[in-house]
Amino acid sequence: MTVASTRTKAEQALSRSFEAVAAKLPGGDAIAAARKAAIGTFAALGLPHRRIEQWKWTDLRSALKEALPPAVNARVKLSPGEIDAGLEELAAIDAHRVVFVDGRHAPQFTSRNDIGGLKITPLAEVLRTEACAGDALADEGLIGNEAVVALNTAFMTDGAVIRLAKGVRLDKPLLLLFAQTGPQGCLVTLRNRIALDEGAQATVIEAHLALPGAAAGQTNTLTDVRLGPGARLAHVKCTLAGERASHLSTWLATLGQACVYRAFQLTAGSGLVRNDVFAKFKGEGAKLDISGAFLGRAAEHIDTTLVVDHAVPACESRELFKGVLADRAHGVFQGKVIVRPNAQKNDGKQMAQALMLSPDAEFDSKPELEIHADDVACGHGATAAEIDEGLLFYMRARGIPVAEARALLIESFIGEAIDKIEDERLRAALSQMAKRRLTGLTAAQP
Amino acid sequence: MLEIRNLRVKLAEEDKLILSGISLEVPKGQVHAIMGPNGSGKSTLAYVLAGREGYEVVDGEVLWNGEDLLAMEPDERAVKGVFLAFQYPMEIPGVATMTFLRTALNAVRRRRGQTELTTPEFMKRVREEAVGLAIADEILKRPLNVGFSGGEKKRMEILQMTVLAPSLCVLDETDSGLDIDAVRIVSAGVNRLRSPDRAMLVITHYQRLLNYIVPDKVHVMADGKIRKTGGKELALELEKSGYAEFRSEALARSLASG
Repeated sequence: MTVASTRTKAEQALSRSFEAVAAKLPGGDAIAAARKAAIGTFAALGLPHRRIEQWKWTDLRSALKEALPPAVNARVKLSPGEIDAGLEELAAIDAHRVVFVDGRHAPQFTSRNDIGGLKITPLAEVLRTEACAGDALADEGLIGNEAVVALNTAFMTDGAVIRLAKGVRLDKPLLLLFAQTGPQGCLVTLRNRIALDEGAQATVIEAHLALPGAAAGQTNTLTDVRLGPGARLAHVKCTLAGERASHLSTWLATLGQACVYRAFQLTAGSGLVRNDVFAKFKGEGAKLDISGAFLGRAAEHIDTTLVVDHAVPACESRELFKGVLADRAHGVFQGKVIVRPNAQKNDGKQMAQALMLSPDAEFDSKPELEIHADDVACGHGATAAEIDEGLLFYMRARGIPVAEARALLIESFIGEAIDKIEDERLRAALSQMAKRRLTGLTAAQP
Repeated sequence: MLEIRNLRVKLAEEDKLILSGISLEVPKGQVHAIMGPNGSGKSTLAYVLAGREGYEVVDGEVLWNGEDLLAMEPDERAVKGVFLAFQYPMEIPGVATMTFLRTALNAVRRRRGQTELTTPEFMKRVREEAVGLAIADEILKRPLNVGFSGGEKKRMEILQMTVLAPSLCVLDETDSGLDIDAVRIVSAGVNRLRSPDRAMLVITHYQRLLNYIVPDKVHVMADGKIRKTGGKELALELEKSGYAEFRSEALARSLASG
């Protein structure tokens, strides 16, 4: 193939960066070989572009003008106060913390872990000691995302590898903080694994934040979620990556029999975000509820792409995503639900709604149902609308000033998604964080 | 006092007048009823008083306590004491009824130069009033009007009216879609608000509501005009004779166009 000559500046820079840092990346020979193979895959594929169906509204090849240098030797000079400032309301949540700064585990900020049945290991350590940590990569659900995942494999430096033993219920949430810091933007590549054994229960918060003063960074993060039979996981991702930052996230979830996976994603104040979720039901009677709220302003671009694979009978999936788009912001929602042959009695519902605050904002939505079984209940819907003038008049007729009425309507619109978070304190925290950013969105509008 | 003088109104994007010269005075302490056939312009009058967009006032004026009501934004009118009980109350998903009530009350109080109520004061007040309107506590926690029955929505309008304590109450077809028990509850709620400091305009198609909310005056409206004004007995006459004598113009027009 004569592809090399057509590569963009960013694609070439990524390949060159790999040559430069490969020797410093964690892992033994097997990992080094996997990395090398992955960068080869990336070199062949290049960045995803609009001619690839799943990326038609998020053309990374044209959006990523340059590739930042990988953060391999970041030094951490932070105070706990700076961490808490970045966490905003999440700082007040009583949680076990695992902190990563610029892609490296920061043990000084990580809570001492002596909880029976809970094992947390930094990925860098796992890569040094285990033969291979990349065993999720063969998953067939990843179609369309090969290049992004290949980059993740090639450059992954750290992450949280978590295992909760059979029947253990975590007493408080686990907060995984991935902070970007410093005046020089860098490429951060993370890989996490959250494995809950049979009947285990946990709440995990995955927060990707730019600390005050941080330059725009680039993140490629992959979280591999594995739920055993009857396990129950509440997984909340909070992406506040920074105005000009780019953030590529892939979640791979495999769901065991009768497990419950409740996931939520809040995305705001981030330049370019792609949230991919591949969820596969592997055992009967499991439930997936994934929802999210995205707030875009200026020229921000936020893409949520879900593939939910009902591979076995009698599972239930629910998806509700709500976005508020101001200025020239661009929101994308792609939701694919697959029901495999003979996977009867499946029930999938999907809804994506955007509130458009500006005539220049854009929302693209593509629901996709691929159903190969006949006894199923699946439905989807999508809307993009402006604020309802009738509602606004009703509220004003009660004496509520127009700005306050608008703010309340927008808040309540997003609130319907945030209400899906069951943990009350967590719901309140995210609600406040969203509200603060909504004020920024509405203030800018005429 | 509410003074409406020669009010002529059309839809913003059409030429035809919907209100073609309404003149009306409702002094404080009085309840006036406006009755009329469908399409007579009753609801338009209610919306114009509340300040809904989409209408154009071609001529005339509306004064409330001597101030030009038409020059005010809808929320300013509410601050000045105007309240419209909607024929079709809006559903607001995601906003709990209590939150909505508190936001509205505090906005109005703040802008009237009164102190905002504390949460316990507010809750106590709303709960007391809710009991009188047979509104269950559980409903106050639900998003405003979402999934409420027709009767619940109308009772909620009266609860809002009671909590906001306006000085000019405009009730647009508050009895429509209500069974007789609900009409009694709603009417009792309205009657509790009758006061020497408050003017009320009750818009209704049927006489039934006026058995419970007994008006000081009844105006018959048709073709965008007040065609007849009388005492409460006028409503009873209409109950017998119907709107036939007021319908001639509209009927003639519809026959001509149909």
